[in-house]
Amino acid sequence: MTAKLVVQGLSHHYPDEYTGVSVHALDDINLEVNDGEFVAIVGPSGCGKTTLLNILAGLLRYREGNATVDGKKIDGPGPDRGVVFQEHAILPWRTVAGNIGHGLELQKIPRQERQDRVAEYIELVGLVGFEDRYPHELSGGMKQRCAVARTLCADPEIMLMDEPFAAVDAQTRITLQEELIRIAIATKKTILFITHAVDEAAFLGDRCFVFSRRPGRLRETVHINIPRAERNWGDIAANPEFVRARDRILALVREEVIADDR
Amino acid sequence: MTDRLNRFLAFWRHFPGAKVINLALVIAGLLTAWALISGSIDNPDRYLPSPLAVAASSVDMLYKGLLPSYFGDTISRLLLGSLIGLGLGIPFGLLLGLNRTVSDIFFPIMNFFQSVSGIAIFPIVVIWWGNSDKTVLAVILYTSFFPVAFNVLSGVREVPLRYIHAAYTLGASKFQVIRDVLAPGALPHIATGSRLSIGFAWRAVIAGEMLAGREGLGWMIFTGQDADMTSQVILGMLMIGLTWIVLDHYLLRPLEADTIERWGLVQR
Ligand SMILES: Nc1ncnc2c1ncn2[C@@H]1O[C@H](COP(=O)(O)OP(=O)(O)O)[C@@H](O)[C@H]1O
Ligand SMILES: [Mg+2]
Repeated sequence: MTAKLVVQGLSHHYPDEYTGVSVHALDDINLEVNDGEFVAIVGPSGCGKTTLLNILAGLLRYREGNATVDGKKIDGPGPDRGVVFQEHAILPWRTVAGNIGHGLELQKIPRQERQDRVAEYIELVGLVGFEDRYPHELSGGMKQRCAVARTLCADPEIMLMDEPFAAVDAQTRITLQEELIRIAIATKKTILFITHAVDEAAFLGDRCFVFSRRPGRLRETVHINIPRAERNWGDIAANPEFVRARDRILALVREEVIADDR
Repeated sequence: MTDRLNRFLAFWRHFPGAKVINLALVIAGLLTAWALISGSIDNPDRYLPSPLAVAASSVDMLYKGLLPSYFGDTISRLLLGSLIGLGLGIPFGLLLGLNRTVSDIFFPIMNFFQSVSGIAIFPIVVIWWGNSDKTVLAVILYTSFFPVAFNVLSGVREVPLRYIHAAYTLGASKFQVIRDVLAPGALPHIATGSRLSIGFAWRAVIAGEMLAGREGLGWMIFTGQDADMTSQVILGMLMIGLTWIVLDHYLLRPLEADTIERWGLVQR
């Protein structure tokens, strides 16, 4: 397997404008994500997950260490890395179809081709019949589907997802997780999925990187050897591999939280 | 008795034409007061000509073609100046908003300039370019540029960063971010800023015509004073106020309200 995304010795400090004391958000991160792989990152709140994602998206400049996609140093945002943000960021003044087709519009793809591709992704995320609705007319789950479809439709090499399902209700979250597995099978995208939910990480990831509390370090990599076709909530709870992986991730996360309380 | 009065007032509140009649009554009252004051002072033609005298003077000026010509001058000056002002001010505000550091620096500077009104910069422009058309146009431009640019900049600063980030990660160029994110995000501020700018430009046009001695309504007032034709002065003042009311009430306000209301629906 080839490494799609490589991060070497990446650290990040946020300067503090007021006190002058900088916040040490990430410390010496080394990781690789393979082509077509689904990797989950779990870590306590404030450990630097969003910071890492912003650096990989090219939205945050980094000075210490290196991050590359296909061997090319990350320097600014680009359509090769699509992002689904923590708070959905679909544009309120565009319809569902307008949002999903935005990336293609920016790439100046001809109208007909654009419409076909948009229709395809609307179908994929189950938003048929809502093409002409505005975001304020959608439920939280539908907004996230729209955001996922928008990112997919621009056809990125890597999908970076920052706790995309954290704000939706439990029932919808389960559905969205299963849909995401289906999408991963259908599109074979490389996906980096950030979460603080242990179940979610074990359910989605081929591998899971567990981060320490701030400054975020990569504590351990947990492998989850379950074929994607078997990942549905009906069966997985009884799968010993899932139980093992989940319990291991949970134990690691708890250590971090307990250490934090002391 | 008070009961019947109350019933009449209740009826009047719901009577469709009541607003128009109320307004007409107030205007009639004002005109009467004006006529009475005018009739009770010495030498009203110099100090406060009666409404009838002003009406006669307007007929006279209409007949000579002076009023339409002055009016046209003023309106075209307003349109030219404020359209260029908006055409430059809106893109400028959007452009400054593209970068947070730049926008932080320019925010107070723009706030400063938008507060130094048209009249206050007149003298310095006259020193540069004398009493010319160029001077008047420059002042109108200045006056309409800063309020709209400042408002647009404030609007852009309120556009959530995640929308801008989302566009960049979809592959947007800076121009595309302005077109697809900043401009629509700041639309209500663009509408409000434009209306403010045109209002300031209107004041600047009149002041410019008076101070720099050009044709137009401002000039009409100025020469009226010079030639001791007070009715012409009052006529000019009336025209200025009435034109603004028509412009604001029938064009600018509805445009602004419509934009904000529709945006409210989209943004909800
Ligand atoms: N723009 C910023 N300036 C200063 N400190 C920041 C900034 N963004 C995040 N931080 C700090 O860096 C740490 C990591 O933040 P973040 O990456 O958002 O964590 P997570 O996404 O894992 O919850 C936190 O302590 C946070 O307060
Ligand atoms: Mg976060």
